[in-house]
Amino acid sequence: MDSSDEALDIIVTNVVATFRTRCHLNLRTIALEGTNVIYKPEVGKVLMKLRKPKITASIWSSGKIICTGATSEDEAKLGARRLARCLQKLGFKVRFSAFRVVNVLAVCSMPFGVHLIDFTKNNRPIASYEPELHPAATYRIKHLKATIQVFSTGSITVTGPNVQNVATAVEQVYPLLFECQKPLCK
Amino acid sequence: MLTNTGPVAKLYLSIIDDVIDSMRELFLDEGLEDRVLDDLRHLWESKMMQSKAMEDFRQNNINSSNFVLQLPASYNQSDQELTASVVIPASQNVHSFPVKNSSETLATFSLPAALAYPVQIPAGVTLQTASGQLYKVNVPVVVTQAPAGQQPVSHPTQKVTERREAPASHPAAVQPHPILPHEVEPSSLPASSVTQPKTSLAPSQESCLPQLSPEPEGTLAETELSPQPEPVNLSMTASPSTQLFDFQISAEEVLTQTAQTRDVDDILKQAIEEERGKAERLDLDYSYSVLSDIVQLDGPADNSDLEEGDGVPLEENDFLGIINAEAIKALQEGNGSSDGNSISSSSDSEGADDLADVEEEDPLNSGDDVIEQDIPDLFDTDNVIVCQYDKIHRSKNRWKFHLKDGVMCYRGRDYVFSKAVGEAEW
Repeated sequence: MDSSDEALDIIVTNVVATFRTRCHLNLRTIALEGTNVIYKPEVGKVLMKLRKPKITASIWSSGKIICTGATSEDEAKLGARRLARCLQKLGFKVRFSAFRVVNVLAVCSMPFGVHLIDFTKNNRPIASYEPELHPAATYRIKHLKATIQVFSTGSITVTGPNVQNVATAVEQVYPLLFECQKPLCK
Repeated sequence: MLTNTGPVAKLYLSIIDDVIDSMRELFLDEGLEDRVLDDLRHLWESKMMQSKAMEDFRQNNINSSNFVLQLPASYNQSDQELTASVVIPASQNVHSFPVKNSSETLATFSLPAALAYPVQIPAGVTLQTASGQLYKVNVPVVVTQAPAGQQPVSHPTQKVTERREAPASHPAAVQPHPILPHEVEPSSLPASSVTQPKTSLAPSQESCLPQLSPEPEGTLAETELSPQPEPVNLSMTASPSTQLFDFQISAEEVLTQTAQTRDVDDILKQAIEEERGKAERLDLDYSYSVLSDIVQLDGPADNSDLEEGDGVPLEENDFLGIINAEAIKALQEGNGSSDGNSISSSSDSEGADDLADVEEEDPLNSGDDVIEQDIPDLFDTDNVIVCQYDKIHRSKNRWKFHLKDGVMCYRGRDYVFSKAVGEAEW
C-alpha cells in the first residue's frame, strides 16, 4: 500500500547548491560590471539573480558560490553553470568545480488533517512538538538526514540533502501521519 | 507634465540667470565687456534649447540651420564614465542664434539655451560663441549646474579649477586636487601667450586671485582684449610662481567649501588654455580610475590557484593533454591576477582548462551547454536618472525606490525632482 506517492504530489520548492570557481573573485568588479547584481559590502558578498532558471546566487570573493531558488537538482546545476559562465565573461578565470546540492526543500499536502499531539505521542522521541514555539511538529529521520515539519492541516514540508531522500522521507512518514489523521474542520 | 514654460525650463533658466548675474561683476572687474557675458549666456541658452531636454518653450527657433557647435567627423559621446546625463546629440534641430558659422565641412549645430545639465563636451569639439570666437575643446569636459545661490567670489577659482574636474559631482571634485599643482603652473604661462581674448582672462584671474581677498578688484589692471596678453601678465606684481601657489591653495579651499558653478564659457576658456599648454603640461588624467583607486575591502586579489589537479590529468589524457597543461600554466603565469580583463585569455584557456578539469568537474564549455543570458538591451537605453537615494528596498522581485534630488532624462526630456518614489518588478 505504501506507494504514498500515488496520490501525493511532492513539490520541490527550493534546491540549494554550492560550487567553487577555483579562483578569487573581485566583488567590486562583479558588482560594477555584472548585470542583475546586488552588492552587499557589509557582508562581503554579491547576489546575482538569474532569470532563466530562477535562481539567486551568493558570491563570495573566495570563489565559493551558493546557489538557491532552483526547483530541481538539474536546474540548480544548470543555473550554477550559467552563473559561472557569467563570471567567466566578466573576466575571471572560472572553473566550475565541486558542485554539490546541499539542501532540497519540498512541500506536500496530505488529504487529511493530522492530530499533532497524537502524532507526537506516538513517535517520541523522533517527533517533537512545541506549539508555543512553532505550530508544526518536527519529525527528524536521522538516517536520511531529513526533517519533516507536520502541520495540523496535513501539509508537510520536507528538507533533505537531495530529492531522493526527500521522497523517501515522505514515504516513510506517510503511514505515521495516516494513523493520526483527523478530519479537517470545514 | 510640462507646459510650455515647464518647470524644468524655468529652473534651468533661473540657474542661468543666477550664474550670469553673479558673474557680471566679476567679469567687469576682470575687464571684460558685458558683451562677453551676454555671449556666454546666449551660448548657454542655445545649447540648452538645442538638446531639447526640456519643453521647448521658445517654439520659434527650431528651423534654422545655423550652427554653433562644430563637431569632428566622428562624434561619439556615449562612453564617458561621468555622471552626465544629457548627451548632446549629433544632429539636432537648431536654435538659430546670432552666430553665422561658415564652416560647411564639419558637422555643426547649435545648442539650445535651456540645456539640461550636466552636459558633456567631448574632446575634439570646437565651440563657437555668438560673437564668433572659437574654443576648441581638446579634453572632455563636463558642465554641470550647481545649486542656486553660489557665491560669486569663488567663480574665478572655480573657473580654473573646473577644467581640472572631469567628473561633475562634488565629491569627485576633490579628487583632482592633487593634479592641480602640476597643471596650474605650466598652464598659466603658456596660457599667457594665447591670443584669444577670453583665454587671457583665466591666467589673469589666476594670477590676480592670490593677491586678492574675495573681492577681485584692485591691483589688476584693466585687461585689454588685445592680441598681446603678455603685458597683461607682466603687469602682475607678484611672480607667477607665487601667484600660482597661492592660487592653488585658495582654489582648493574654495573648491572644497562650495559646490561648483560651471559656465559653459568657462569650460571653453579652460579648454583652450589646456590646449595651449599641452606641450608643457604633464599628462592630464581626468579619468582617474574609480575602480583602482578605491581599496578592495574583501581581501586582496589572488592569483588563480595553480591546480593541484594539473598533474593528475596528465596521465588521463594523451599527449595533447600534456601540451595543454603546460599551456595552462603559461597562461596563468602570464595573466597574473584573476580579475583582469582577460576575456580573450579566459576563452583561450578554456580549451586548455577543459582538459585539465576533467577529473574535477565537467568543464565550462564556452557557449556550449551553458547558454548565455538574455542580453539586457535595456541597458542601452538613454533614459537615465541621476539622483541620490533615500531608501531602496526589495522583496523577492519587487523593488521600491525612494529617491531624492535628481534629474531624470526620459525620452530625451529632462525632469527635475526633489523626491521621487518608484516601484518596479524585476
